[in-house]
Amino acid sequence: MKIFAEVTEKMMSLLPETADKSVLFNDEFCAVNGEKNSILFRSDTAYELGGSGKPAVCSIVFTDLPSMRDEVILYGPDLSEITEDTPFAHITFVQLKQKNEEELTYEQLKNIGFTAFQIYPEGYHIRISPVASKEQVRVAKTALYSDSPLSFLNVGCSLIRAFKENDDVEFVRTVFITKKEFDYRALSDLAQKAKKTTDAVHSTLQLDELDCASCKMKPICDEVEGLRELHLKKEKEKI
Amino acid sequence: MCTEIFAFAGKGGVGKTSLSAAFIRILSEYFPDKRILAVDADPAVGLSMALQIQPVLTLDDIRIRIAENIESGQTAQAIELLSEAEFHLLDAIVEKDNISFLAIGRPEAAGCYCKVNAYLKQVIEMLCENYDFVVIDGEAGIEQINRRVMENITYLVLVSDASKKGISVISVIEDVANKLTSCRKSGVIFNRVRGTFNADCVSGIPPVLSVIGEDESQTENDMQGESVFSLPVESPLYQGAKTALFSLLEEN
Repeated sequence: MKIFAEVTEKMMSLLPETADKSVLFNDEFCAVNGEKNSILFRSDTAYELGGSGKPAVCSIVFTDLPSMRDEVILYGPDLSEITEDTPFAHITFVQLKQKNEEELTYEQLKNIGFTAFQIYPEGYHIRISPVASKEQVRVAKTALYSDSPLSFLNVGCSLIRAFKENDDVEFVRTVFITKKEFDYRALSDLAQKAKKTTDAVHSTLQLDELDCASCKMKPICDEVEGLRELHLKKEKEKI
Repeated sequence: MCTEIFAFAGKGGVGKTSLSAAFIRILSEYFPDKRILAVDADPAVGLSMALQIQPVLTLDDIRIRIAENIESGQTAQAIELLSEAEFHLLDAIVEKDNISFLAIGRPEAAGCYCKVNAYLKQVIEMLCENYDFVVIDGEAGIEQINRRVMENITYLVLVSDASKKGISVISVIEDVANKLTSCRKSGVIFNRVRGTFNADCVSGIPPVLSVIGEDESQTENDMQGESVFSLPVESPLYQGAKTALFSLLEEN
């Protein structure tokens, strides 16, 4: 997707060359569902991903990456190998079936993006700040100290299954990063840019303004290739 | 989970906060396997001091943050707002053993607390599902009941001293509560009673749960800045609160 191409490319370039784990989606690997609105108390928590002020980044990016397939990728230790609050990032690359950007609607992007707020793996309490593009996760002791401890593979497959329930979604690649040596700040900046881009799709399509010089969306249109064309094309269609 | 919610109300200065704190302590001692949520809904934030739990973030802080985000256009849809609220809410809850503490806080600007109260109601409803007991230390008067913040409470605990004004206030609160809330049971605790007060002679109020006299150990505790957990179990406040609490619970 053109408007996300630059941010996708930069995110990919930040990722280490070799993944620690990479698994294709399998419905049987999905985590057991927990209860909605259920709090995981500190006393029941083994550790928090992104807790104690450590980096906690999340982003959903719509992409046309040629190598896309449904898969879970992990850079860094898995859940059962972590023992304390640790830096964390979670990026989800989504490829839509409908590749024509002109048919793209803000509601589609938003509704697909909201999937991330609606999964509740048991023993894995996700909380997301859409404003700050942050995701922190409390991981339950009971989820780790069992015969089949929870892993990112389980969580990732649950997320992919949830995304794939949307008819517009073709492929989902969900990436977890728990490495201590990683440029989380750069990823956070890109996550914020991706969010602004999604929001800008909405804003530009709502605006009747055709004069770029006086339009309040000019700064983001200048930055994101393809956004201005998308807006102008929609305006012409209205006329 | 079947949550039992205790809401304290009454005239200012009658000891609602001390009694709320005593209820929380007794619940935590007698039900160590249960989860208790203590909500400091009084802008004076006295419950925080009584429990010696210092909140780092209040609900009002969260409300302000989210309001700012809405104004700047950063969050637009309900699901995003809820997610944002939930994200910060977990940071606002302070956990100590089986007690969780949540402070409502107070807006810096002068004005009414209507927005905070409306917000409080939503958050309490969402949170309550995770707890066995919720104890709400309300602000003085009927404001929170009138605004339907305390709409689904199990027990309304009305606190008064022996003054006519105090008794008049709890009569009004009970009347409003009967009209606006679904309360299973209500009762009165007379606190800081001096002299020859006879609670049986007071008419037009819910059943009296306990009558507590002046409590020097509580006064001393307050002066020393100690928490309710330092109060001797034989103190009138502890014993009176215990009688009232089990009187409310025993018929259920």
